[in-house]
Amino acid sequence: MKKKVKQQISGFSEIEQEIRILRKQAPDRSVEKGQVSRIIERLHPRKLNLAVSEIREETASAKTFRLVSGDHYLPPFLAGQYINLFLDVNGIRTSRPYSISSSPGQTAYYDITLRRVKNGFFSNYLMDEVKTGDGFQSTSPAGYFHHNPLFHGKDLVFLAGGSGITPFMSMIREVTDKGMDRRIHLIYGSQQEDDIIFSQELSERASRHVNLSVTHVITAPSSSYAGHTGFITGEVIRSALGNQGLTEKMFYLCGPEAMYGFVLSNLEKLGVPKRRIRIEIFGPPADITAHPGWPEQITKADRFQIRLKNGRVFEAAAGEPLMNSLERNNITLETSCRSGVCSLCRTKLLSGKVFHPAGAQIRKSDRKYGYIHPCMAYPLEDLELLI
Amino acid sequence: MTDYDAVIIGAGNGGLTAGLTLARAGVKTLMLERHNIPGGCATSFVRGRFEFEVALHQLSGMGTESFPGPLRSMLKDLDMMKDLAFVQMENLYRAVLPGQMDITLKADRAEAIQALKAKFPQETSGIDGFFDLVWAFCNQWIHVVIMKDPEATSEKHPVYFQYALKDTQSVLDEFFKNPLLKSAVGIYWSYMGMPPSRLPFGDFAVIFWAYTEFKPFHIKGGSQALSNALLNAYIQAGGDVHFNCGVKKIIVKDNRVTGIVTDQGDEIATANIVSNAGTYTTYVELIDREHIPEESRRELGARTVGTSAVTIFLGMDAEPEALGIREATNFITETTDNDLAFSTFRTLDPPMAMLFTCYDVDDPEFSPKGACQAAIVSLAYSEPWLSIPTTRYHETKYRYAQDMLNTLYKVFPDVRHHIEEIDVATPLTHMRYLGHPGGAIYGFEQSARDSELFLDGSSPIEGLYHAGAFAGMGGFQPTLMSGQSAARKLIRQLK
Ligand SMILES: Cc1cc2nc3c(=O)[nH]c(=O)nc-3n(C[C@H](O)[C@H](O)[C@H](O)COP(=O)(O)OP(=O)(O)OC[C@H]3O[C@@H](n4cnc5c(N)ncnc54)[C@H](O)[C@@H]3O)c2cc1C
Ligand SMILES: Cc1cc2nc3c(=O)[nH]c(=O)nc-3n(C[C@H](O)[C@H](O)[C@H](O)COP(=O)(O)OP(=O)(O)OC[C@H]3O[C@@H](n4cnc5c(N)ncnc54)[C@H](O)[C@@H]3O)c2cc1C
Repeated sequence: MKKKVKQQISGFSEIEQEIRILRKQAPDRSVEKGQVSRIIERLHPRKLNLAVSEIREETASAKTFRLVSGDHYLPPFLAGQYINLFLDVNGIRTSRPYSISSSPGQTAYYDITLRRVKNGFFSNYLMDEVKTGDGFQSTSPAGYFHHNPLFHGKDLVFLAGGSGITPFMSMIREVTDKGMDRRIHLIYGSQQEDDIIFSQELSERASRHVNLSVTHVITAPSSSYAGHTGFITGEVIRSALGNQGLTEKMFYLCGPEAMYGFVLSNLEKLGVPKRRIRIEIFGPPADITAHPGWPEQITKADRFQIRLKNGRVFEAAAGEPLMNSLERNNITLETSCRSGVCSLCRTKLLSGKVFHPAGAQIRKSDRKYGYIHPCMAYPLEDLELLI
Repeated sequence: MTDYDAVIIGAGNGGLTAGLTLARAGVKTLMLERHNIPGGCATSFVRGRFEFEVALHQLSGMGTESFPGPLRSMLKDLDMMKDLAFVQMENLYRAVLPGQMDITLKADRAEAIQALKAKFPQETSGIDGFFDLVWAFCNQWIHVVIMKDPEATSEKHPVYFQYALKDTQSVLDEFFKNPLLKSAVGIYWSYMGMPPSRLPFGDFAVIFWAYTEFKPFHIKGGSQALSNALLNAYIQAGGDVHFNCGVKKIIVKDNRVTGIVTDQGDEIATANIVSNAGTYTTYVELIDREHIPEESRRELGARTVGTSAVTIFLGMDAEPEALGIREATNFITETTDNDLAFSTFRTLDPPMAMLFTCYDVDDPEFSPKGACQAAIVSLAYSEPWLSIPTTRYHETKYRYAQDMLNTLYKVFPDVRHHIEEIDVATPLTHMRYLGHPGGAIYGFEQSARDSELFLDGSSPIEGLYHAGAFAGMGGFQPTLMSGQSAARKLIRQLK
């Protein structure tokens, strides 16, 4: 619109006058440079530089690593969240997520507790090679496996298996240390009695706090063991919790892959609605070819060609997440969950086909336009990627 | 020697349509986005079995096949309609003041008038008068502003010239007596970002009229479907794009753009830039102070950054009817005093005005079968959120969200028994994902003095163009259209 037209609008010149005055007194915004990123960094720094300050043996196969900040302070987190640790293992830059097991009541350090995984690439390196004083990078805490006061309620049931105890330990420590108004019942499955991580601390806390009770379930018990044995069944849950109010409680589930399907079907039989169940994400399954939907004719060892935009070509095994093959070829993508959920590694597939197991969460329109989450995508054909 | 003819900073609505327009015109273009996905506000995220819509509540300017609005025409022009599907919404909104008012207005002039007259029978002539005024105003607005009638005068177009800058509250007061009626008619203010006492009537009238005439729409698959479709078309037209790649500097020499530097430190030479990062970020963060003329610095200093929002994303394990949700768009207000309601946006007290949108009402395929999703939005400024220590952030966020839910439960009591997922975004969340000061979602304030009437949007630096909410008006339609027009300006300069 022409100036002489605008000027006929009633009230125009008054506002022009107001703007003139404001401009005369206007602050110089350049002093605000950097403010937005400083604010964001306080809550969500992109990367943390961590150092191991202490290593504690929990059981024969599990250790706790106490991590302190190398430079920055550690941002607050919600009990149940994880960090993704980056390391060079045998010359390969890779990462794995670990739940924080310490309480969010302090952020002088984050504890992570891990258990050796048979033939595990990363876990064995951490267990055997990493020493006090070693440094590495991580993402800042992330994840949705935490108590949400808006709808979870105050009656919580934690169903844990093996190293799946770690997020619960953080929650239990927080609730008991702070005297929070929540009731927790932990049902914890372990291989043998001496595999129970945090065994002593759990029983101490349970004896001191009426709002915490603990039920152990042992898969391969010694002959003298008197408690529950086998797996976490509907029977075990019912005998631990009673029959009352099962559908009002919030159930949280974290443990090895095999535990999920089993426990979920038991909860369903008990009449627990899906909305009262929280499931922690889990990384790539031990054997992807056993997953429903995997094409029969393709085996773990089949290899396909991966072509990048710059013309580079290398091979990848069908039975392994594409991200691992990329890392072995020195291509590191942004990543946090390594479970197909956080979407940081979102990549466009220009041609070819991949398999995403059910746990991978891909947006509808991302599927339509060929976006994949390489941390949970397995090649089924030769692929061309927009990297 | 340049690497690219043009670089686009940011893949929000404005950046995407700018990129597509340039790439289609054969301009060698690179788009850089700090996030891992295109869209900016126009995006989605997955939690459990829900894909949550981040921003879109009502898409304006679509119109129907037979009566296309400006946005439909632009998308046709960009050959995008074949990739997209839209869902027309039947109602403008339902407006509720718990215990005192509950009224639904159809997106139809006659039916809206009828509904208002049925609730407020004493004020029938005021209701007619107000609608007549809004329609007369918009008619004249089309001539003066859209068709740019060179002979526009206050004699020929008296309604436009008299009312464009009047405050909306005084016009509501002129026609209506009952404060509830004023609320029912004026409630779009709480979505636009300024209370009626500071909202130019021109802006209000155009929104109210345009949603009635062109109807409110949703996008099938949510706004991410639009962002992904635009990016896909851009790539097909030969455009390059990098995600997880922010721009930290625009290089300027002799008042001309010569390139950019990415967060990773790579330098890319170009003579043209379309910045979708917003004028604030562009001039404060990206360009060194000495390259910005004094006058532009003062212009920026005199402007006010607009509101951000708090959004609660709700996934429920029941269909809308079972939860008593019949309308897609529901405004809930706790007071007829709009200035009071607006003042709560600057505090951490319970917000007194909010918008609740259930996406499955008009599009039953939006969520999985037997489930539905909704978002509750309340506008909010970032300041009070910046004053809380980081250690108390989560607790504050949940307390604030609980207050909003308590208000919601007054109108939809059954919702609380069916919640399966909830996530909450605050002004800090918007700041994190968009990079805008204060987490602003509509750019600068939607007040008269921050409107396009008083600013020409051009850049003092040659080769620099702006697209998006900070360069004009906030909202999907304006930002999508701003990208196309920025690109056209750039193309004209190249020739
Ligand atoms: C959100 C999240 C939180 C986690 N928190 C913890 C934690 O607190 N403590 C902890 O010890 N681990 C945790 N994990 C698992 C951890 O990230 C690694 O997957 C684990 O340490 C194995 O990595 P690896 O490199 O040693 O094994 P890889 O070399 O990647 O895998 C070796 C083989 O073991 C299988 N495998 C992978 N993970 C497991 C597992 N957890 N149990 C059994 N088999 C497995 C693989 O499929 C493969 O067949 C968490 C995972 C996620 C997604
Ligand atoms: C909760 C909510 C509800 C809304 N409701 C509606 C509605 O119902 N109807 C409606 O029409 N509008 C609505 N809006 C507003 C609308 O979504 C926005 O105004 C519009 O999408 C803004 O588009 P934009 O082009 O300005 O870009 P933005 O969406 O602001 O995106 C800017 C992009 O630039 C990127 N960027 C920033 N800095 C850099 C940098 N230095 N380098 C690289 N990239 C950078 C950002 O990451 C971002 O992707 C809503 C918004 C929100 C958040």
